Amino acid sequence: MSRIDRVRAETNAGWRSFVRRRTAVFFTFFFPVILIVIFGALVQTDPTGGGLFAEPAAYYVPGYLAVVVLFTPLSRMGSEVARHREGNRFEKLATTPLTRGEWLLSQTLVNAIIIGLASVLILVLVVVLTGADIVLSPVLVPYVLVGVVCFCGVGAMLGSYTDSQDGAVAASNAIGLPLLFLSETFVPLEQLPGWFGPLVELSPLTYFARGVRAATFPEADPAGVAGVDPVLANLAVLATIAIVAFALGARSIPRTD
Amino acid sequence: MEAVVEASELRKSYGETVALAGVSVAIERGEIFGLIGPNGAGKTTLVRALTGTTEPDSGTARVLGDPPPATDRNRLAVLPQAFSPPDRLTAHELLSYYAGLYDDARDPEEVLADVGLADAGDTWYEALSGGQQRRVCVGATLVNDPDVLFLDEPTTGIDPAGRRTVWRLIESLSAGGTTVVLTTHDMAEAERLADRVGLLADGALVADGTPTDLVDEHGGSSRLTIETAAKPAAFDELAYPVEQPSDSRGGESRSPTTDSIVVRAVTPPEIGDVVDYLEEREIAYSGLEWTEPGLEEVYLELASRAELGRTDAADRNRAGGTETETRDDEQTSAGETA
Repeated sequence: MSRIDRVRAETNAGWRSFVRRRTAVFFTFFFPVILIVIFGALVQTDPTGGGLFAEPAAYYVPGYLAVVVLFTPLSRMGSEVARHREGNRFEKLATTPLTRGEWLLSQTLVNAIIIGLASVLILVLVVVLTGADIVLSPVLVPYVLVGVVCFCGVGAMLGSYTDSQDGAVAASNAIGLPLLFLSETFVPLEQLPGWFGPLVELSPLTYFARGVRAATFPEADPAGVAGVDPVLANLAVLATIAIVAFALGARSIPRTD
Repeated sequence: MEAVVEASELRKSYGETVALAGVSVAIERGEIFGLIGPNGAGKTTLVRALTGTTEPDSGTARVLGDPPPATDRNRLAVLPQAFSPPDRLTAHELLSYYAGLYDDARDPEEVLADVGLADAGDTWYEALSGGQQRRVCVGATLVNDPDVLFLDEPTTGIDPAGRRTVWRLIESLSAGGTTVVLTTHDMAEAERLADRVGLLADGALVADGTPTDLVDEHGGSSRLTIETAAKPAAFDELAYPVEQPSDSRGGESRSPTTDSIVVRAVTPPEIGDVVDYLEEREIAYSGLEWTEPGLEEVYLELASRAELGRTDAADRNRAGGTETETRDDEQTSAGETA
């Protein structure tokens, strides 16, 4: 039995466990939908400069995608790790050939499937409900995948360092909400105080938002990074952060008491 | 014989609490080693130290020739205490899941049949009864056909028939060469299954031997319990030792009962002598029960000794503290005088 077979077994179990929790499935997809309906269709965008959303509708596509790319892994991974700890599942898994990295990879794959489906739904709704004029670039696929890897790593750390499922969910909300709104997703950098700029640069979601925006909304005229195309440059930065987050997340998963 | 599980002077503390106080043990291939002891005695910590899921503060352990973190995990299986697997998988899916984690695994259907759940394979884990759930968990430890099996209270919550199914399974595994470390509070289970029993108390292995040897050494003599309201003095002329049993077995309260008398060291042919004694002196009684000493008596005896030792140590500490305080007072007084 190879590493691939172990990951397949863990992924199958994780996927089945998820889809059989109907409430979790419903709200995983309902959350971004309701956000688009409220912000995109009810509040609406006012490109003339007034209102809550001053940019064209396409500008906010990275923000809507970030809702699932950020929040779903943070809360799911956080609570999954906590649930595993509470049920002594890690104690069992630690005595099998499955490694911590393989376990996290499996959970990341489950999240990638869920978030991939949710992202397609979001893109369709954004276009249909807000009339956003976006480019459906294939580079969105690696962006979503790398984003999921990154935030699954962070979620694993949250679950490992909090003492319960409730604690993990609360911590994921406390971290996710500021990141969601302060990473050039919904609020442009110009609308934030000058001193906030360096903090925005520290958020991995910033590179997701900049890259996805560069790919789907070229009219935003995104800046390159050191002369490199912004789509590839931001993906490279995000991928680097994702590798570090994944490694730290896997390392944080408890093998001992 | 080859020792496949070895521990030498294992020590582990959690803050002020000593979980293991220098435990050494060697378990041979195919042996069933029963680990018994009061709650908090260190049984689970010892299992964790041997399976690499806790790091001892000092001491060494080897399983299948390697330190626990390096043990070949394809040859090892563990059923943790209070283990709760993913609950929305069917029993069959759960066993397939765990089977998928090993290089070489058994057919899950076969394992389900082994644990007596062939008909429950399509039922979600959360919909199974508590005993069935525990049997699925036992099954999850059998999917890789392990050489060494650690079972932490495997039959908790299982009904008597299911328990016997698990017992037969463990016996057949042992007969096939699997080494089993079994943690249990069920003395009948330990007595039936274990080739050797270790009793942990306060983190120390206070006894280690075959159930028969332990009973011979620590179990005391047979007990003939007479249900009677008569006082122990009424038995002064009986040729056997007499005692008044306590009303709590192994618990904190051990006050004597007033409705029975225990006569020790009576063999079955001698029971008639005791009955004659009762009849001759017109001592009213409502029942007689003769029992041989078993592992439960060993457990109660050794656990109560450990408890007494703890109480004595606490008393000595208190007395030492009082003496110290007294000396301090004296010194203070002397200082003030000076």
